[in-house]
Amino acid sequence: MTAKTRYFLFGSVLVLTVGLSIGLVAYYGGVPGGLFAAQPGPAELKYVPADAAVVAYANVRDVMNSQIRQRLRQFEGMTDEGRSEFKDKTGIDIEQDIDHVVACMGAKVAEAERSGLVVARGRFDQSRLEALAVENGAKAESYKGKRLLTAVADKEHVATAAHGASMAIAFVGPGVVAMGSADMVRQAIDRAEGSSSVLTNQDMMKLVGEMNDASMWAVGKFDALRAEAKLPTEVSERIPAITWFSASGHVNGGMQATVKAETKDEAAANNLRDIIRGFTALAKMQAGSSPGIQKMLPDIQLGGDGKVVAVSFAVTTEMLDAMVAAKGAAGAIKKSLPTGTEKQ
Amino acid sequence: MSETHTDPTVARSTPPVAPGGPAGRRQAPPFLTAAMRVFDLSLSQMLWSKRTIFLGLLVGSPLALGILFRVLEMIGLAGGVKIDGAAISGPTVFGGMIWLLYLRFIVPVLGIFYGTALIADEVDDKTITYLFVRPIPRSAVLVGKYLAYLVTTVFVVLPSVVILYLLVVPLGHGALAESFPALVKDLGLLGLGLAAYGALFAFIGAFFKYPLVTGLVFAFGWEQIALVLPGYLRRLTLAYYLQSLVPHAMPQDGLGTALQALFRDVPPPLVSVACLFGCIAVFLALAGRVVERKEYVLEQ
Repeated sequence: MTAKTRYFLFGSVLVLTVGLSIGLVAYYGGVPGGLFAAQPGPAELKYVPADAAVVAYANVRDVMNSQIRQRLRQFEGMTDEGRSEFKDKTGIDIEQDIDHVVACMGAKVAEAERSGLVVARGRFDQSRLEALAVENGAKAESYKGKRLLTAVADKEHVATAAHGASMAIAFVGPGVVAMGSADMVRQAIDRAEGSSSVLTNQDMMKLVGEMNDASMWAVGKFDALRAEAKLPTEVSERIPAITWFSASGHVNGGMQATVKAETKDEAAANNLRDIIRGFTALAKMQAGSSPGIQKMLPDIQLGGDGKVVAVSFAVTTEMLDAMVAAKGAAGAIKKSLPTGTEKQ
Repeated sequence: MSETHTDPTVARSTPPVAPGGPAGRRQAPPFLTAAMRVFDLSLSQMLWSKRTIFLGLLVGSPLALGILFRVLEMIGLAGGVKIDGAAISGPTVFGGMIWLLYLRFIVPVLGIFYGTALIADEVDDKTITYLFVRPIPRSAVLVGKYLAYLVTTVFVVLPSVVILYLLVVPLGHGALAESFPALVKDLGLLGLGLAAYGALFAFIGAFFKYPLVTGLVFAFGWEQIALVLPGYLRRLTLAYYLQSLVPHAMPQDGLGTALQALFRDVPPPLVSVACLFGCIAVFLALAGRVVERKEYVLEQ
């Protein structure tokens, strides 16, 4: 073996050793969350309970100002009527006055329905909102220095309604409004003063940390979604065992979405990947003969390692244009049919 | 009585008798020693040959892609790696590159170009005679050259995979930590793939008249078709066992892959590893047998 060969082999071994060492240090050591890095997610997470089943976030400004929303409005035929009415009553312009929203689905307690909480940050006219609430039968009170407006959800059961069945709105901080069941809102106010929040839930915060600068995201336990979806038993039993899920969307012209699911084991992850591949192949085969439908189908990228299955796709403005065109064509066909034949 | 007169020059030219061996003959070295000696000679030859330029280009192209992705992300031009508008994270890009570039192209191509040339190059250069006149088994020559091929390719390909991991995985806020177990599996898998394809194509190189064409037809014809067809045919490919060991999800790059995925019947990892090691042993043994028995006629 020549000296040149020896040096080459030594260099290769060195590169392998250094690279694997970096990976090993990252895998076993790493940097504790929050030590050098900023806390992931919005500041409003401090109001979310530690045992929340699902946590979601939406950057309302980005979504409202996006091209995809304009196309969707065109597709759905939406007008500004509802927005104007809401603004007249509450003083809130949804497109301008709400910056972002954090929502959560609480943990299930006994046989009671899951309670929810929505925390919105923006610019709100507190006195106008309070007046509107009182006008509609809400009761104004102070709770730990915060203004709380409580209304019972079902007026027919006012006398027998449990305390937790009432809805509430609270101004928990400058420009921050919390809405939800009265219990959840009170607990949110307690959390702002230091009791444990979702920030201490490492599993949830690990998922939140992966969301980075997404315009909207949702993370949580899949069981909560499955229970709320009320799927038929035959379908529910066939879904692979998914423990955690996360979904994120980035709006910039179109929308790029990523959905991840963490399964119980690798076998379940492989099953889930096979299911997704099967549906993708089926969709492609069905759309193969129709260029119009092909334009509407997103190109799905399947990824993920081990127990994590990740699906990425993009909804482009071209796809929405194709949907609008298809809807227009369907409407034109419907109009051209003589009356009475539509029901055949 | 006659006296035996010993000529000192004759005495000096006669090699000393090996202890315990037949008088006047040296013992042939053991098989492994012979193979290691051939390995030692062939390694430098193989590493610094013109073929290594091709190896460097092949292995350098994923690295160039990785550097391009990093530069684009650093200057904020591309907004991350995207496929049809969908942002893809670093670990997914890394997994896709291992599947599409390394496993399905680089490893088989290296096996073909190096493995088929182990004996064929010596025949073409008319230097095989000098190897076969040595008092060592012919199969030791093949094994030594195979080991040189393995060391050359492993010590070029595996460091490139590690560099690619460091370049690509952090894209799109990917985490090195989460992808580390997959990297270790990838390194083992690629090493095993290089060994398996090398043994197979060493046999093809020793047995067939046109080994390069035969190798290309096998790797890019037979294996691709057999993997798509339902049934047992796919078990007659190396890719079937290698792909079952990959820790990343198979990328969707067309209807062919989608069909492969639909008909995918994944053997357990231990079975795959055992089959691959078995293939290495069998093909090397077959190649050694062919080399021992075949008469190589050098064209004048």
